[in-house]
Amino acid sequence: MPNYVEFNKISKGFPGVQALDDVSFRVQGGRICALMGENGAGKSTMLKILSGDYQADEGTIIIDGMPASYHSPHGALKASISVIYQERQLVPGLSVMENIFIEDLPKKGIRIDKAALRKMTQHILDEFELDVNPSEPVGRLSVAHQQMIEIMKAYRRDSEIIAFDEPTAPLSESEINTLFKVIRRLKEAGKVIIYVSHRMSEIFQISDDIVVLKDGKLVCELNADETTEQELITAMVGRDIGDTYAELCRNENIGEVMLEVRNLETDDVHDINLEVRAGEIVGFAGLIGAGRTELARAIFAADPISSGEIFLNGQKVNFKSPKDAIAAGMALCPEDRKEQGLVLDRTINNNITSAVLEKVKTGLFLDKKKERKLSHAAVEKYSIKTPSIEKKVVELSGGNQQKVILGRWTSEAMVTKVLILDEPTKGIDVGAKAEIYQAICDFAKAGLAVIFISSELTEVINLADRIIVMAQGRITGSLSRQEATEEKVLKLAMHH
Amino acid sequence: MADILGGMIKIVKSKMFALIVLLAILSTIVQIGSNGIFLHPINIRTILDMMIITGMMTIGATLLLIAGALDLSVGTVGTMAGMMFAVLLRYHHFHWAVALILCLALAAVFGLINATLVNFAKFPAFIATLGMASVAEGVSFLFSGGANVSLSDPFMRNLATGRFMNNTIPFSIIILLVFFIVYGIILSKTKFGRQIYLVGSNPTASRLVGINSRRISYILFINSSVLGAFAGIMFNSRVAAATTLGITDRQFFGLIAAILGGVSFGGGTGGLGGAFVGLLIFSAFANGMFLLRVDSFWNQAIFGMLLLVSLAFDYMRSRATYRSPRAKRKSKKTTTTA
Ligand SMILES: Nc1ncnc2c1ncn2[C@@H]1O[C@H](COP(=O)(O)OP(=O)(O)OP(=O)(O)O)[C@@H](O)[C@H]1O
Ligand SMILES: [Mg+2]
Repeated sequence: MPNYVEFNKISKGFPGVQALDDVSFRVQGGRICALMGENGAGKSTMLKILSGDYQADEGTIIIDGMPASYHSPHGALKASISVIYQERQLVPGLSVMENIFIEDLPKKGIRIDKAALRKMTQHILDEFELDVNPSEPVGRLSVAHQQMIEIMKAYRRDSEIIAFDEPTAPLSESEINTLFKVIRRLKEAGKVIIYVSHRMSEIFQISDDIVVLKDGKLVCELNADETTEQELITAMVGRDIGDTYAELCRNENIGEVMLEVRNLETDDVHDINLEVRAGEIVGFAGLIGAGRTELARAIFAADPISSGEIFLNGQKVNFKSPKDAIAAGMALCPEDRKEQGLVLDRTINNNITSAVLEKVKTGLFLDKKKERKLSHAAVEKYSIKTPSIEKKVVELSGGNQQKVILGRWTSEAMVTKVLILDEPTKGIDVGAKAEIYQAICDFAKAGLAVIFISSELTEVINLADRIIVMAQGRITGSLSRQEATEEKVLKLAMHH
Repeated sequence: MADILGGMIKIVKSKMFALIVLLAILSTIVQIGSNGIFLHPINIRTILDMMIITGMMTIGATLLLIAGALDLSVGTVGTMAGMMFAVLLRYHHFHWAVALILCLALAAVFGLINATLVNFAKFPAFIATLGMASVAEGVSFLFSGGANVSLSDPFMRNLATGRFMNNTIPFSIIILLVFFIVYGIILSKTKFGRQIYLVGSNPTASRLVGINSRRISYILFINSSVLGAFAGIMFNSRVAAATTLGITDRQFFGLIAAILGGVSFGGGTGGLGGAFVGLLIFSAFANGMFLLRVDSFWNQAIFGMLLLVSLAFDYMRSRATYRSPRAKRKSKKTTTTA
């Protein structure tokens, strides 16, 4: 069965950007093809053309020798193509099982056959080793679990061509391993698989071929076995970025305790005691559901606290809402960019200034000049790829959206003492990651207390001065950078 | 050359342009159908005379829609306030200013209750406000005992019917314009206005950037009720009586005008400029029905249909923007110059 997909001279433009420019490559069935490139290189655009969501301006997709003739997502599904988008497409109010089978729910007469639906769902859940209730509304699940549901939704269609756009961004080690088992099974079944990710180590674990895009153009096609990580990075970024962590310019002066949490209890986290000093980067590691995001939200007063005390700069604080927390000098860069981070329909400019509107006023009115200055600074600092700051955030690539959130919470108009970053590098390319790590070190140097939550272990271990590990809503241990190893952290993360 | 062309394409594609074209087509049809009466200065003056009533409700509706809510009690609250106003003047001999303040205050209480039902009891806005509409109707009946009350305070009457410049331009349209301008500035130039858009687009994210969406919701519901009350009082002053029906049958006019003017039901989009053009279209349409002698029994049905049409419009528009990359399939040549 000579099963393949060929992208033939594909071009696609948006106002002010040529997202894809005459790109041709072929993906063979039974092999996994990694599609790589910096943020905004055109990866997601390519996959959206494959899924029928966008139409190419020029070029065709050829499947098994025949030019594809579909013009809609529905047509693509019929042609046995499934694409798992970078942004989740689930319906939060519907249950897990309804979401997974949303396109063809099993019917009994005119009613949904709940029993059959549950059985089919449980079957898939088992295959993915995921312990969730099929009747649970999806909106109540963690971002990581939602992502797994999104993957299952495509998986169960049993398509011949499957593309994954950054499926692992919100996942941690153990989920990634089960996901890889599933992907390898698909590969053995001879399917055509396209895989996009910014996590370098994964690429060499899972892929056979690598296609590199840059600024919408094809750079090269590589064989994964014959390529080193450095070579791949050079192809993507256009230069050698060296050893990211060794070259960081770190903060050496750790000051007084800035944030202290005593005996904190909420619905999700228990018995939390911790201190973060000025100039210190405290990393939070743990598996999905360990309660790191929930802890961050509780400290920021986004979720209610049942008991316990929080001290900022030695003063007991009692925030009623994020508004109070921000006024006192806290900033939380949230994990879920679509729901919690960004106002997608508004411009980059509106998003960046949204937390500091008071600071961009002149007299009674918002001052366009001041707003633009802040936004331009953020675009510059994080190299956000966009033709203009007046572009709607929804039109940016995933990684560039993430940079907008960072830009908002670290803008110079914020008077921040405690900076909480929840998965700040999610979806960000290797080159930009290095810059963000340096930016985080610079915040520490400026005397901020930084909380750094990440599911990428290497990142936490190498960046943080101290690593706090959580499991099941509790802190299970704390390690200094010197003593921390992946094994030690994982052991604490599995702690029961 | 290409720039001029690009600029023109931009204008032609803009919402505002589509609305103005719609207004022009509508006017032409009515103009022909009414044998030229429609664009006669006296008829235009009649349209302008009545505009403040729908206009006030349009402002309230626009702000609420942008914030992601709506108020189905404006008309009834307005009628209630109008009735109270007439009763206070006629039977209790209040000064008009005192009566006005009391009536607006009562309306504000209704707005306050609406907001509380939505923010604390977590009712969907349309259920909460529909419920309060019935309450307002009841209160209105308590004031009037079911009878119409005549109203002839000279100042109020002059405010609603007076005109300057040789009896051509109504005072009321100037008042309305000032309102539109002031609210327009608040919406587009102030922190509060920006927050309305942010909350309407994504309430969860807005809370996390420190926006107090409850405060905004309270202000906008109260504002809607107060503007509704003002509309009700102006209506009574125009017709020189407070009727039990009042502006109840105009309940949806503000909503229709706002949605016609590009304010989306989903929240976060549109503005008062568009809403004003929507108001013009709506007023021309309503007047057109009158000129074309459409049976008044049909009016309600036709307005209902207009609401549905504007909603369908809104739906298609939101789908069009959502799917825009595909719609732009053929426009590569123009986009590369942008
Ligand atoms: N709907 C759209 N409207 C306008 N521009 C768009 C749209 N979608 C994508 N773009 C632009 O096309 C370019 C490529 O975006 P794309 O999402 O394909 O990048 P990507 O390679 O997936 O990046 P990332 O790694 O950040 O996800 C970007 O400059 C982006 O701003
Ligand atoms: Mg992408």
